[in-house]
Amino acid sequence: MLTEIKFDNFTAFDKLSIEFSKGINIIIGENSTGKTHIIKALYSFCDITKSKKGVAEKINDVFYPSGKQIGRLVKRSQGSDSGFIEMKRIVNDQEMTIRLTLTNHTITPDKAKISGSTKQWMDHPVESVFIPVKDMMANAPGFRSLYATRNIHFEEVYADIIDRAFLPPLKGQPDKDRGRLLEILQKSIDGKVILKNEEYFLKNKQGELEFTLLAEGYRKLGLLWLLIQNGTLLSGSTLFWDEPETNLNPKLMKTVVEILVELQRLGVQVFITTHDYVFLKEFELAINPSDQILYHSLFRNQVSGEISHSFFSVFQDISPNAIDDTFGSLIDRQLSRDMGELGK
Amino acid sequence: MIVTSDGYQIDFTDAISAFKFDETDKTKFTYHGVTALKAVDIIAEFPSAYVFVEIKDYQKPEDFDEINAHDEVEKNTKHLNYKRLKNYLKYKFRDSFLYRFAENKISKPISYICLINLDNALNTKMSKDLRLELPIGKKSTRWVNEFSHVCNVLNLKKWNDNFPKWPAQKI
Repeated sequence: MLTEIKFDNFTAFDKLSIEFSKGINIIIGENSTGKTHIIKALYSFCDITKSKKGVAEKINDVFYPSGKQIGRLVKRSQGSDSGFIEMKRIVNDQEMTIRLTLTNHTITPDKAKISGSTKQWMDHPVESVFIPVKDMMANAPGFRSLYATRNIHFEEVYADIIDRAFLPPLKGQPDKDRGRLLEILQKSIDGKVILKNEEYFLKNKQGELEFTLLAEGYRKLGLLWLLIQNGTLLSGSTLFWDEPETNLNPKLMKTVVEILVELQRLGVQVFITTHDYVFLKEFELAINPSDQILYHSLFRNQVSGEISHSFFSVFQDISPNAIDDTFGSLIDRQLSRDMGELGK
Repeated sequence: MIVTSDGYQIDFTDAISAFKFDETDKTKFTYHGVTALKAVDIIAEFPSAYVFVEIKDYQKPEDFDEINAHDEVEKNTKHLNYKRLKNYLKYKFRDSFLYRFAENKISKPISYICLINLDNALNTKMSKDLRLELPIGKKSTRWVNEFSHVCNVLNLKKWNDNFPKWPAQKI
């Protein structure tokens, strides 16, 4: 279970420390407050425990700075030329910490400094999945081999998610819990996902429909179906999902949230970024008191301009709430137009 | 000019007059006294307008959140709650308008502001629905006048953001 991340002079952050829920973590905030950077960093530190890549190399591949010069990830500021990310997790009641330190002169990952309980970290693998904003399932055919052999400008999360989806199903019948989740998804997408020659199809009574012809929202549910079916999302695993609401019909959001809450109940730690009011509200309505959920709000300090963080366990308490503030801005402008100087 | 109603206190610092419109105290000059008509909580008069204010402080705002209902049953329940709230706000305004018509006090444009502790998103939806149903503006080519030209639903924070001359607080 991931418990904490600290940034110091890294990408958008000056100093930032965030503690996480062992269940669901929802990150909100305006654009450029670093929501995606947080889950990319978390994912990178998880992925290396399975892929056995160096953490600096993984961070470099996932963030993809210009020219793959990892030192560019250090926040450019006066007075300091180094930065770090530090992450903590607890496995079997043991806390372990790992830190990646860079300077802006660090050109290649092998020059980065790794410290902390590195061996212990790598000895305890955790399954992790990062679902990026852009759907890749329709582009899966040939992409993996292209990514493996050519230097193409794609952050590694895009190749990774295809790899996760391509894992064959677990042997035997799905257990009761997985079976129930798969049923919920099958009902929503009206079928099952099948793979033929690296190409995904939705199979239902009408036949087989290739993913390229399928609405993107359905592709997202199809991807969840695959990750549950092949056992990637099992107890102890970690799911990172960047803006799940993108291209998702609001009616399907309920299904996605239902699945995410159920996964949390089964022991999956979930990290989500979102800009969507309905999606956020769905969580409020789907959870019960025994569920573990934290809402994280990222915002810029109005004086220093630095990115700050606040967290809340109750939806109504989120402040600042960039999503509801957008509706608030509509109210302000409507009142200004309607009321003129009255009351001002 | 401070008015207290439904657990809120509002100071209309620049008003010609402001009073508790649904006053139930018979000894007061502003006693409403017509039980057949519903009444908004407060009416304030300004040189250029009347402002009708209705206040609702709910314990469970999510009871009205039909947008995010889980299933049809819940959606129907929430829709009923939402519809009940919307109708409540609608008829309060219309009855108050009739009362003020009888008082011959509708000579200025009327703004209707509902102070409700829902989040901004739900208040935006309620404003839109209420504007359609009051209705706002001249809805027929035969109409010469309008009931109201403004209707907005907002929470305490938005009230204080937008009406610095009318500071409001919970008491």
